[in-house]
Amino acid sequence: MNRGRRFWIELVLGLVVGGVFVYASLDKIAKPPDFARILYHYQVIGPSATIPPLVPNLVAVILPWVELLIGLGLIVGVLRRESAAIAAVLLVVFVAAVGSALYRGIDIENCGCFAVTGEGRKAGLKLVLSDLGLLAASLVLLRPRPLTSTGRAA
Amino acid sequence: MKESGGDEAPVYTSMVPSGLMLFAARILLIVALGSGLGLGWNAFSGRGLALTGNVFVKAGDELVEAAAAKARLGKGALFVDARPLDFYDMSHVPGALSLPEDQFDVAFARLEPQLRASLDVIVYCAGFGCEASHIVSRKLKERGVPAAILHEGWPAWQDAGYPTREGKLP
Repeated sequence: MNRGRRFWIELVLGLVVGGVFVYASLDKIAKPPDFARILYHYQVIGPSATIPPLVPNLVAVILPWVELLIGLGLIVGVLRRESAAIAAVLLVVFVAAVGSALYRGIDIENCGCFAVTGEGRKAGLKLVLSDLGLLAASLVLLRPRPLTSTGRAA
Repeated sequence: MKESGGDEAPVYTSMVPSGLMLFAARILLIVALGSGLGLGWNAFSGRGLALTGNVFVKAGDELVEAAAAKARLGKGALFVDARPLDFYDMSHVPGALSLPEDQFDVAFARLEPQLRASLDVIVYCAGFGCEASHIVSRKLKERGVPAAILHEGWPAWQDAGYPTREGKLP
């Protein structure tokens, strides 16, 4: 692919995916206990009879900061591929969590994606689709940059 | 025209083992930095949570284990089922009143006399991941009806083999 075109594609996708991750991190960083409550509602990483509250609590405390860092990385273009790799893994996890809640018939009124109090986005199929869109963009950003090209025969 | 073979393909950074190691190390760095910032923020921002505690449980909540709740049922405790009505109809604690969290105001208005007349109220919902019992118990307290919460809710009651009742009647 033309290098210039690739530059612009990466710039735009980085801004979009990075912007979503930064925005997604802010309310969770502001209110860790409310994000933890939402994680409990998913009933995936506990607490349960076997998983202590420490597990979801740690995720609630750490995940938003990782989202912020990779969001900034994608926007600014620092560690962009690494950030895209983490974003892709997180999006797969998010899709799995929402899918599993839907499958088990757990009604999650607020998915904990953006706002963690009050009216949030419902964990539903629409959310899975937008996550998959972001995942596709992350995979584009994840592609390695050609270091050298021996140049194909023209 | 040149032959197209394997070595004709562009060399990508990630195909070099050391490049892959570096890639992984940078990912770990981001996660470690995020962990440090998160734990630090949680500890020092004043907005954090108690890491080992359950965030559903707030100061002032009275939690009752299933065995103790069963004993209190025997002494005339009134149970309140905070789950959606469909679940109540399927099966509930004998004598329990249905007070779904999402219809609290309507249901409370109807059940208020019985709730106020009871000296011991225990609220339960669907167990882990269910916050309705905590919310209903606090709303009851705000209205002057002290209410305990059945720890681990309906599953704990059912797993203990305690009596249950089907249908719309308490």
